[in-house]
Amino acid sequence: METTSILPLLILGSSFIPGTLILLLREDQSSQRTFLNIFGAVAKVSLIALVFAGYMRGEDYTFVFSLAPGLNFTLRVDLLGLFFATLSAVLWLITTLYAIGYLEGGRHRRRFFAFFSYCITASTGIALSGDVVTFFIFYEFLTLSTYPLVVHLGTDKAVNAGRTYLWYTIGGGTILFLGVVGLSVIAGPIHFGQTEIIASLISENATQLAILFFLMLAGLAVKAAIFPLHSWLPISMVAPAPVSALLHAVAVVKAGAFGIIRLVYDVYGIETAGYMNLLTPLAVFAAFTIIYGSVRALFQDDFKRRLAFSTVSQLSYIALGVAITGVLSSTGAIVHLVHQGIMKITMFFAAGIVAETYGFYKISEMNGIGRRMPLTMGAFAIAVFGMIGLPPVAGFISKWYLGLGAIETGSYWVVLVLLGSSALNAAYFLPIIYRAWFCEPVQELVPRRRSGRLETQALMLIPVVVTGLLSLAAGVFAAVAGSPLSIAREIAERLYLL
Amino acid sequence: MIWFLTIALPLLAAIITAFIPAGRRGSGLFFVSATLPAIWLGLVDESGVTAQWFLLESHFSLDTPRRILLLLTGILWATSALFAGSYLKDDARRGEFSFYFGAAMAGNFGLLVSAEAASFYTFFALMTFASYGLVIHSRTPFARRAARIYLVMAIIGELFLITALYLAVKSAGSMLLADIPPALAEDPNGPIIFFLGLIGFGVKVGAIPLYFWLPLAHPAAPAPASAVLSGAMIKAGLVGWMHFAPVGLVEWTSLSFLMVSLGFTAALGAAIIGLTQVDPKTNLAYSSISQMGVMTVILGIGLYGGIPGGLILPALALYAYNHGTAKALLFLGTALPARVGGFWRILMWAGLGTGVLAIAGGPLTGGLWTKYLLKTFLGETSLPGAQTFLILLTLSAITTTLLLSRFLHLLHRIEAPSENAVPAFILPWILLLLAGGWWTLSPALLPTGLMNHITKENGIMVFFWNRFTNWSALWPITVGIVVMAFTLRFATLNLWPAKKPLLPPGDFLHIILLAGDLFAKLLRKGISLLESGLHSVQGPEQIFYRVTDNKRTSQISDSAETTLRRWEFVGIGFFIFFLTLLLLL
Repeated sequence: METTSILPLLILGSSFIPGTLILLLREDQSSQRTFLNIFGAVAKVSLIALVFAGYMRGEDYTFVFSLAPGLNFTLRVDLLGLFFATLSAVLWLITTLYAIGYLEGGRHRRRFFAFFSYCITASTGIALSGDVVTFFIFYEFLTLSTYPLVVHLGTDKAVNAGRTYLWYTIGGGTILFLGVVGLSVIAGPIHFGQTEIIASLISENATQLAILFFLMLAGLAVKAAIFPLHSWLPISMVAPAPVSALLHAVAVVKAGAFGIIRLVYDVYGIETAGYMNLLTPLAVFAAFTIIYGSVRALFQDDFKRRLAFSTVSQLSYIALGVAITGVLSSTGAIVHLVHQGIMKITMFFAAGIVAETYGFYKISEMNGIGRRMPLTMGAFAIAVFGMIGLPPVAGFISKWYLGLGAIETGSYWVVLVLLGSSALNAAYFLPIIYRAWFCEPVQELVPRRRSGRLETQALMLIPVVVTGLLSLAAGVFAAVAGSPLSIAREIAERLYLL
Repeated sequence: MIWFLTIALPLLAAIITAFIPAGRRGSGLFFVSATLPAIWLGLVDESGVTAQWFLLESHFSLDTPRRILLLLTGILWATSALFAGSYLKDDARRGEFSFYFGAAMAGNFGLLVSAEAASFYTFFALMTFASYGLVIHSRTPFARRAARIYLVMAIIGELFLITALYLAVKSAGSMLLADIPPALAEDPNGPIIFFLGLIGFGVKVGAIPLYFWLPLAHPAAPAPASAVLSGAMIKAGLVGWMHFAPVGLVEWTSLSFLMVSLGFTAALGAAIIGLTQVDPKTNLAYSSISQMGVMTVILGIGLYGGIPGGLILPALALYAYNHGTAKALLFLGTALPARVGGFWRILMWAGLGTGVLAIAGGPLTGGLWTKYLLKTFLGETSLPGAQTFLILLTLSAITTTLLLSRFLHLLHRIEAPSENAVPAFILPWILLLLAGGWWTLSPALLPTGLMNHITKENGIMVFFWNRFTNWSALWPITVGIVVMAFTLRFATLNLWPAKKPLLPPGDFLHIILLAGDLFAKLLRKGISLLESGLHSVQGPEQIFYRVTDNKRTSQISDSAETTLRRWEFVGIGFFIFFLTLLLLL
């Protein structure tokens, strides 16, 4: 018998309500807006911590609301969901601070922060959804709530990017919708974790189930930016830096990756999916995306564009890890959800700071920037080493588990993909480090656009330093209980022991 | 605690000396204190510890060979730090130098004390990437180029290394490095895994054919950094090999032959190429490649089996100790001739001469003893052709002497200061001279098992004074010196290049670069073809624009957008959305 708890709903409300209240404020009421933002973000982190502690004690948090007969709106807390929700909440808090600094004196801040809150509501909703239908509702909510953020600047470029973004994501949503409806028709309502439902159906409905799997996968792959459905991602980087940061680290792309994890592990079940041979195509596409994204990143001079293609590549690590059976690769995939998030958000923060403070948007302009902003570029350097997979940064831990997992199952080609990606990552990231730290600036004096005693505005500097240090700590203290790795390992072990 | 301090203190010193002005002034002393835990661990046998909070659960402990190497490493970093503190006193970038110096030091100590794969790899990477900052320090075009080639090779090495580690850890079923050699000995894929490790670490060691970055990068760094690069950090690759090599457990004939022949090729070939150089530091870098070749030979013999690893590996470490101290002495010595005058010059030449003799294995040096260890194993091994190898080894003593006497001659050309000058950094240099290869004879370093095996009941000093061993060490060196002296004396024989090296440093790198240029040109052409192709066929990403840029679609979506952008209407949108959802189900 399920107990009903209001806490999951409160977690959603902690960003939804401030978001709505912000809409009711006037544009110039910035202190009230800031208060609401920070209050919501802190409340969310605290609530999730509360739920996390309770969950670890063995308590069950479920909220069910009947939308229609046989159609429930279910919020349920499980470890994987909490893991993702924690990532969203913590990074939202950090990004909010950053955004307040970044947008200081900007236009349409009311709209921005409202949708920013909605966006994170959707993201946590995805994390806490208890069944396929609820997941889909939040997945679409996410699409719509991020659109105003992508077009925030209102320039032609931004509007065009927003259009492309909508085309892709609505298209993906439609495909996902077909899959979800089909699944509901065949299997009835499926709660995450009830893998036995599909397992009992594969003898009769194998073909249908396989088609539905790929339909849903395609729908999710759009947001997860798997080739050939990735093009929206590099284009939507025209959005302001905090949006790109959140988009690339948590909100949109992670929703896709998280959805793939849910689909494979909690809907079909890793055994069924493996038995039906559904994972090989996913592995191939993911592997190709890893290399393709890296190769494209090599040729970008625009800082954020290069980062965007890097996201395309790095995200597919998660899909690749999911596609390989085994505790180790599952651990690698799940932990990369968090690791990629904190590393990539650091990079986008840094890109935003450089652009806002000195007006440098291109990598070729960044000679000697390390001397001018040592903390920003130091944090960026940590993230770069993590992306390459060098220890002791977080990315190494992900790659270590993915590599060992691949060898465990004898998929040596995956190791080659990982190595190739490491080499390419080094090839497109290290030149940035080289320019920033080892080249002399072309112009001695560049006017600074942002004042402040520090190298840039404190509200922008602190987030980047914090996430940079988090990326380092997630690797250095990976063995400590409570680290992302320890949680990911527990999730993976439960998957395979059940 | 001491294990933790070994790594933490250098990192702390790096931060203090790089960012705090007071720390910058006393950088030498800060770094010397940071090496003390490492030197302590090198001298005193401490039991290992487990750090459950670090990375994937780390273990720190030492075995005899690594303890010897740690002592060597500690001494070299300490003396080089003192040297650098005075030598780079007026350098504009000394803060940066300190930062990379300290980070590389932490990596170097850390990889030696790590007994587990993840932390070993971590510190290996830390050292590798931190020393990039040392190589590029002077920011000259030469240094930038050397650093770039260094970095590319280092990354290639890392990739091979991580593959080897993945496979080895999987094969051993444990993260402990000590479990790897026995597991590889059992595993049918063992030789392949070892071969990957051989390549991965071979980059650092400067093994043929992966050495070409070394004659560029080691000389590019300032003298104290070159000293630790060529004396200490190069040995990190050797440590890696030792972690992978199931010495005494297997009979891998082909790998053994491969390593012995590559080793001798390096020992002789690098010395000969080094002779064509005109920069004393490049000359020394080639000598390092040559000496690492000799160590490759010892390890290769170990892979043929028959001799227990408990004897070969400490012997290898002792050889490395002698080479490391002497090589660092010579590298630091390259900074002296321009600054030392008068009476001190005599001391300088005596010290440099001792260093040269120690590397060449001259009489009454530590080199004599450590080379004798190698000869003993060559005599004992059942590896076919061991007699030829003994001859080759003697030959390598001649080429090494030629190479290093040429080095002395190159130093000799540097103009001496007129007055009786002596820089402060001669003190650490003298300390390093005192810490030299003779210590390999002392019981503090020499394991009893190895000593008993080599000297039987005679005792070590009897061996050391033995007329025959000293004579057999003396004549190849005399031959080398005499040849060099003759060719320098008589103009018709003096074919040595004076201004430009006969072969550019990095020799066959230039062939690679030429091929690489050609390849890059082709690649660029291919890419531009591909790009124009993509534009004409509307590649995967372009196809979508065709849809989205279509007038009609853009009109529709534009109007949709204006509605959407007015956020007040989003609520209606959601309402309709949910309504559709309900109706559909």
